[in-house]
Amino acid sequence: MAQNLLNALTLGSLYLLFALGMSLAWGTIGILNFAHGSIFMFAAFTGHLLVQQVALPLPVVLLIGTAVGAALSVLAQVLAFEPIQRRARDHRRAELQILVGGIGIATIPLAIAQHATKSVPFGFTGSTFQVEVYRLGPVQLTNVQLVILGAAAVLTGVLAWWLRSARTGLALRSIGVDAEVATMMGVNRRGLAMATMAVAGALAGIAGVLLTYYLGSIAAESGDSFLIKAFAAIVLGGIGSIGGAVAGAMILALAETVVLTQTSGMWVDAVSFGLIFAVLVLRPRGLFGRKEVRRT
Amino acid sequence: MRTGNRVRCALVVGAAAVLTTACATSSGTGGSGGEGLPGTVKIMSIKEMTGPVAFAGTHATRGIDLAVEQINQRKFLGDTKLEIDLHDSAASVQEAASFATQAVSDQSYSALLGPASSSQAAAVSPIADKAKIPVIYTQAGSDGVLVGDYTFRVTAPASSYFHHAGEYLKSKGAKTAAVLYNSGNPTLAELGQRTVPELAKEYGFSVSSSDGVQLTAQDFTNAGAKIARAKPDAVFVLLQGPQNPAAITQLKQNGYSGEIVGMTSMGAGNLKPAGQQAKGTVWPSDFSPHAEAPSVQEFVKAYQAKYNGELPNNYAAEAYDAAWFLARGIKEAGSADRTAIQQGLAAVAKQGFEGAEGKLRFEGNDLRVEGVLAGWDGSGEILVSRGAS
Repeated sequence: MAQNLLNALTLGSLYLLFALGMSLAWGTIGILNFAHGSIFMFAAFTGHLLVQQVALPLPVVLLIGTAVGAALSVLAQVLAFEPIQRRARDHRRAELQILVGGIGIATIPLAIAQHATKSVPFGFTGSTFQVEVYRLGPVQLTNVQLVILGAAAVLTGVLAWWLRSARTGLALRSIGVDAEVATMMGVNRRGLAMATMAVAGALAGIAGVLLTYYLGSIAAESGDSFLIKAFAAIVLGGIGSIGGAVAGAMILALAETVVLTQTSGMWVDAVSFGLIFAVLVLRPRGLFGRKEVRRT
Repeated sequence: MRTGNRVRCALVVGAAAVLTTACATSSGTGGSGGEGLPGTVKIMSIKEMTGPVAFAGTHATRGIDLAVEQINQRKFLGDTKLEIDLHDSAASVQEAASFATQAVSDQSYSALLGPASSSQAAAVSPIADKAKIPVIYTQAGSDGVLVGDYTFRVTAPASSYFHHAGEYLKSKGAKTAAVLYNSGNPTLAELGQRTVPELAKEYGFSVSSSDGVQLTAQDFTNAGAKIARAKPDAVFVLLQGPQNPAAITQLKQNGYSGEIVGMTSMGAGNLKPAGQQAKGTVWPSDFSPHAEAPSVQEFVKAYQAKYNGELPNNYAAEAYDAAWFLARGIKEAGSADRTAIQQGLAAVAKQGFEGAEGKLRFEGNDLRVEGVLAGWDGSGEILVSRGAS
């Protein structure tokens, strides 16, 4: 029981690290980035290419993943999302075009990684980091799990504090409420959008590297299934809410673990997504979603 | 009236031209190569060069390229050249079906080399069989692929050589086994649900647990922990290529120390990321580059010579045999006509031949091989035990 709970917490933390960035960008600057999964995978893939050449420790691979994730996310913002937002006639149309644009962007890193790996899984076998297993009574824990749990807790806490207390965080939230008024009040909308996309990409990069260490390897297509899970977690918790992302990721991971350990694994998605559907029927805005205010 | 006559006349001339062209191209392209064969026999190859099963498509294409090079250099078809027109299906069912339709309507194609994934093959087969164009598959192990006389498969069903796993476990004294299988893949699901339980009865072990995972599952922590807690003597890991290293790593990290048995999806370098964690893993396979049969070693040497010393895997070997099977069928037919080639292939299938996978024999249009037990020694693939091939 305790072991299953720990495994669910670890999986939930990975979903959370992935979903946090997506939720942040969607809930504040209105960008639902469907290239997030590809960025997540490509950050880990870049780390893999480098550790094949030089034996690197985990912190360095994490830094590389963070930098690659942030750079790719900013690049997507500059080359695609920003021009779409500038040219779109209205907010709704921009959202739809960004969604489709994101799907298109996602195919580029995916195609590069598939071509380079021939879709054979890749990992960090050249890294100096070694997985160690600790046994605490009936519970078994690895050092990778400790890093994942720690990273998720610290980064979620920092992000929540930034949005709640820091001046730039408050400015970012004001864009989410009303972008035009925020601009009139002197908020640097473009600069904050870039920073938000950089943070979102960095979080995706961290999640990609940690997942690869945790599983031992991932494939070029791994980002796709994570994207669907993160999307579900965000919708379940409530768009733009950090608490909601935490709740959504943990509930999804817990539901998956319960189904997997009590029944056959083939029911995982059916039960997990059925549960999400049931919650959304009762609370359409998600568990922690804010009321949408639209002025006409 | 005069205009009407002119139109009618033009239609007759046009139809005659089309018929003449169709007759000229229906038996391949180019000049005569003697004995009814044209100068070139054109084949469409639909393979997954990109996408999630690119590892199968790219290696298969290497095997085909080698075979075609040998067929043409050795003048196996006299002066007739075999020409392969490669199309990337990108693992898309729609793309594969679209290419097959294109080949059917373009009479310059004499036959098809089909895609590896069962879902694509199941879409291509009815199109090819109805239009009477022969199609030869490798992999594509599910039902619904061999639907008629025009569909052939040059990958033996894993269940036909899975007895190697039973013999191995018996030699290790295994009494209990857990099964972890991909329930979204028809071939893997059949192995997990039907083949392993039958093997258990035959070789005296019991199946202690059987768990299906989803097609795209990535995290096997819980499944690994559940199996490790039960401590079976062996575990069958019947998953798709990229899932294998993650599942084995999770099993080992959860303290599992028994035997791990897989299937051919563990080959083609898929266990490399698991490294030493996967040491001792074995899987029944239709091919091993280390098998001693002369026809196997002839293929391995030729492959290494062409591809900078790289060892071939099962995807390359199967596709190599498929291309040679097709060439034999064309030679037997003595024609590039689609129906004649089908009859030629059926005749070759009755006789069987020796190829990269050893001695090949067919049951109907489906291949059977003796198979081997391959394994992973921590850094590369090895031959654990050989079959009669």
